[in-house]
Amino acid sequence: MSASIRLTTRPLSGAAAQRALEGPGVGGVVIFAGRVRPDPTPAGRVVALVYDVHGPLALARLRAIAGIAERRFGARRVVLWHRSGRLKVGEISVIVGAACPHRDPAFRAARYLIEELKASVPIWKAERARPARRRRPRRARSAARSAG
Amino acid sequence: MARGTVTVLLFGPARETAGTGRLVVDVPDPGLAARALVDELARRYPKLARTLAVSRLVRNGRYLSRLTERVRPGDEVAVHPPYGGG
Repeated sequence: MSASIRLTTRPLSGAAAQRALEGPGVGGVVIFAGRVRPDPTPAGRVVALVYDVHGPLALARLRAIAGIAERRFGARRVVLWHRSGRLKVGEISVIVGAACPHRDPAFRAARYLIEELKASVPIWKAERARPARRRRPRRARSAARSAG
Repeated sequence: MARGTVTVLLFGPARETAGTGRLVVDVPDPGLAARALVDELARRYPKLARTLAVSRLVRNGRYLSRLTERVRPGDEVAVHPPYGGG
């Protein structure tokens, strides 16, 4: 089994993940990519997430998860990639992928990888939000136009 | 009594609340229970108390199973709030 494990401050590429999952005996490949969403929060809309990672422990846990995916689902290749640092809305924060001989174990392995990563790998995210601009009342806007 | 230091690493919301990711805490030479270290962190950063209550501790790369386990001079202790990757 081949596992590609990466914790990085550099952008992640779905195409690169697909290449990393190619190999003999692989009939089903499932890739999941998570992106930063512009969710509303009490402090305003999310504009970025900052990811904090306990590197050595995170790497050890990711290796363990990859090993379990091999034993439980027969994964031939696994990708477990996660960003660290500040990510803007739309950037890919995580990619997991599983390559198996058939589609069903590939789907189940990919699902296992992302759920286990979220639950048991020491990674944290903090939201950075921008308060929404308040619209000025109509009367104030027309007064401002007439003043100009 | 001889004393030494423990390095404490704070992650995620613990780092955000304390405003730092690394602290040095004096401890007596034979060490102290992890619970006492947690109490000292909460004394220094009262706003950290709620996060500490739900965090796991990692001593020299291994998770502590109980707060009665000892922390000794030279140890590195990481504070792990609930994980939130993805």
